Amino acid sequence: MKQKFLFVFLLFALVLSACGTGQSASTPAVVRIGWGGGPDTLNPGMAILAVEYTIFELVYDSMYDLNLDGSFTLSIAESATASDDGTVWTFKIKEGLKFHDGEDLTAEDVAFTYNLYKDTPEYPYLNGYYTTYFDSIEATGNNEVVLTLTEAIPNIESQLVYLYILPKHIWETASPTEFDNVTMIGSGPFKLAEYVPDEFVRLAANKEHFATPPKVDEVIFQTFDNPDALVQAIKTGQVDMISSLPGTAVEGLKSESAVTVVTGAPFSPGPEDIIFNQIDPENCPVDEGGLCTGHPALRDRNVRLALAHATDKQKIIDVVLFGLGTPGFTLIPDGLGVWFNNTLTDYEFDTAKANQILDDAGYLDTDGDGVREMPDGSRALSFRINWDSDNSDYPRIAELLKEMWAEIGVALEPQAFDADALTAICCPTFDFDIMIWGWVSDPDPSALLYVYTTDAIPYGSSETGYSNPVYDELYNQQQVTLNFEERKEIVWEMQRITHEDVVYIIPYYAQAVQAFRNDRFTGWIIDQSKIELTDVTSLVLIEPVR
Amino acid sequence: MNRSRAILNKTAWAVFTILFVIVLNFFLFRILPGDPARAGMKDPRLKQEAIEALQVRFGLDKPVINCFDSLNPIKIGNCNVNPLETQFFIYIGNLFKGDLGISYDTNRPVSEMLSERLWNTILLIGAGQILSIILGMVFGILGAWKARTLVDYGSTGISLLFWSLPTFWLGIVLLFWGSANGFPIAGKATPGMSSYPLFQQWGDVLWHMFLPTLTYTIIFMGEYTLIMRSSLVDVLSEDYILTAKAKGVSAFQILKDHALRNAMLPLVTVIAINLGFTVAGAIQIESVFSWPGLGSAVFEAVERRDYPVLQGAFILIAVSVILANLLADLTYTYLDPRVQVE
Repeated sequence: MKQKFLFVFLLFALVLSACGTGQSASTPAVVRIGWGGGPDTLNPGMAILAVEYTIFELVYDSMYDLNLDGSFTLSIAESATASDDGTVWTFKIKEGLKFHDGEDLTAEDVAFTYNLYKDTPEYPYLNGYYTTYFDSIEATGNNEVVLTLTEAIPNIESQLVYLYILPKHIWETASPTEFDNVTMIGSGPFKLAEYVPDEFVRLAANKEHFATPPKVDEVIFQTFDNPDALVQAIKTGQVDMISSLPGTAVEGLKSESAVTVVTGAPFSPGPEDIIFNQIDPENCPVDEGGLCTGHPALRDRNVRLALAHATDKQKIIDVVLFGLGTPGFTLIPDGLGVWFNNTLTDYEFDTAKANQILDDAGYLDTDGDGVREMPDGSRALSFRINWDSDNSDYPRIAELLKEMWAEIGVALEPQAFDADALTAICCPTFDFDIMIWGWVSDPDPSALLYVYTTDAIPYGSSETGYSNPVYDELYNQQQVTLNFEERKEIVWEMQRITHEDVVYIIPYYAQAVQAFRNDRFTGWIIDQSKIELTDVTSLVLIEPVR
Repeated sequence: MNRSRAILNKTAWAVFTILFVIVLNFFLFRILPGDPARAGMKDPRLKQEAIEALQVRFGLDKPVINCFDSLNPIKIGNCNVNPLETQFFIYIGNLFKGDLGISYDTNRPVSEMLSERLWNTILLIGAGQILSIILGMVFGILGAWKARTLVDYGSTGISLLFWSLPTFWLGIVLLFWGSANGFPIAGKATPGMSSYPLFQQWGDVLWHMFLPTLTYTIIFMGEYTLIMRSSLVDVLSEDYILTAKAKGVSAFQILKDHALRNAMLPLVTVIAINLGFTVAGAIQIESVFSWPGLGSAVFEAVERRDYPVLQGAFILIAVSVILANLLADLTYTYLDPRVQVE
């Protein structure tokens, strides 16, 4: 009897809930986004994950907005003026800006926020990277913020773009590291309505936003642990957009008429790289634990060039990424927009040419075992190749390279390593021959360009040990060149040099794949080189399909 | 006297095992490679100062233990420090305060994170266990009672099939089927339901539970049916059942009063063991259906090397397995008074 009652109750509840959800969908315009993650913290300072920044971009304003082409626009300030020597910046904050709780956003809040980021060393990015050049920040009576830098820098926009403006009246009494910020008062085009960790984030439109009031009423980000469920959810209309999907599902989803699949360079591109240990023994950072056991052949540009000619990048892209990538040149990916040197041409895949280069350089197979030897016959061209065992693409790349390079008499000894073990043999130890690894990128190219410098060798940022005085000089120059066009020229030249020297082989720049229901919302930005439908640029524009 | 002594004895052993796990757990995660400040990240922007600040925050700047120099090559420990200032004593001290540390990833207290997840898991697995026990017993009894008939072959065959289904595969199949039929396939609730009346929210949760619970029930039901059936068949062939039949006791009474209690013993063992692992969650089911339980927390923590969460979850799982076993032992002494400890 009791069981029967329970059953009836369950049925009753199910019917009710089904009615409830059906009703709520009809009136307000709610965008339901399915994604593979979710924010771990809402405290901008403590955040590390890309998905956290996605939420911050929607809920907070910052000094500049990052556009999908890699350029910046001034956001909360009317004007930004630099002193003649470029070290003092004055930002005139717009009048009438409001936080979500109704309080005014003024220069006081901006100055407070910048000081908070500058004075909290526990903030891995916002302190560690973006406030490096901050000397002092002050608010003046005129709703102006005066930012004094320790030296002139060319990329103030990219330094400020992620420094989200926090309300002073809330944060001045909070502990910078312990504060969980679950009410998340910001000033951006969306305000936090509800946050359930590991389940969803619900944002409500801030229709009073000064620049970009959204046309929809709500955006919900729902966490899916299972990529197949994401695909299924968009197919059946349980969500309106998905921010990622497995490469295997792309073709199947394209055949759904109500779903549009879009691909493009990712918003925060992370280049993958095949690293050659080419450190000169003279540069070996012995004091920092350098062992420098790399194979001497890899110091020879001819060998690296031959390996580049023997690498069929398109095959790697087809096998590993199901075609969703473009061949890469240097650490600066196409996703960096204006900074990417699109005039470079790749080394064509040509095994005969690769063999010819090695023959001419004196690397011959003297003992007839199918593997070439050094010109002096001392060692075979047999290289260790290691990669991060957390990554499922790298073993496939290694396997393909082994096949491809065997064609030119080069042998590989593949072995996966735990990320920490890999760091230990990597840098500044240089106890390896070849590695496959990846970087995360910043909108400004400076951080990745630094990786190629001689200065970076003892700090463990240089993974190749590459050292080129001409390049080093250019790096220093671009750091102080305030004119955008001039700086761009230098950055492009630096890419040309490192591509020419075959410092790395960049197998590909992976593409982002996203999909949306074309019967639900319209207006997504899909005509730019970068694709990021979860970005504020799209979410403030879209509106329901009539 | 004998019985209370047995209980005391078993409880003491359980406590001892838990203490052992606590100590082992600490060293297990200290020997593993992994620096929280670098875990899985390779970012040119992360500066040395930031790494050091993170290490201070998570207490990793302190020596692991007072004096362990003799234990090379593990090389943990430093003889010149106050033993109370070591990670080990801080860990033990915090543990007794119920503090499991701070998650590397979320910056939230681990105990808070795990307790949220624990309730979700108990909800899901509890419902699944109850349903599978009821169904398993019903079909098991049916199979044994109608042994070697079509009913028996049918229920045994299906149970065997259910039991041998890979959990992940069944989950995916039900996910595809369910999504096509309008069932929710991710999460525990529809976002935005919090403004609705409470009973509607509960209904929504039940609605979301449907597919994962179904998966769980199917997998475990098979196991319970088979065990119930075989042990009941055994018992029904015993002489005392024959005697009861000869005395003219009704079939139902034989089953209820004479056979079932004995036949339950093996099932209780399996249920108790399963219950212990319940806390670990059905990791695969939770990750297929994005259920925010303990299992998916463990899965995520492994992926991201969030050692404090893993450490806390391991303690929780170990303690619950040990307690469930203790419970099984104690239930035994109740079900079968012959079971005693020497």
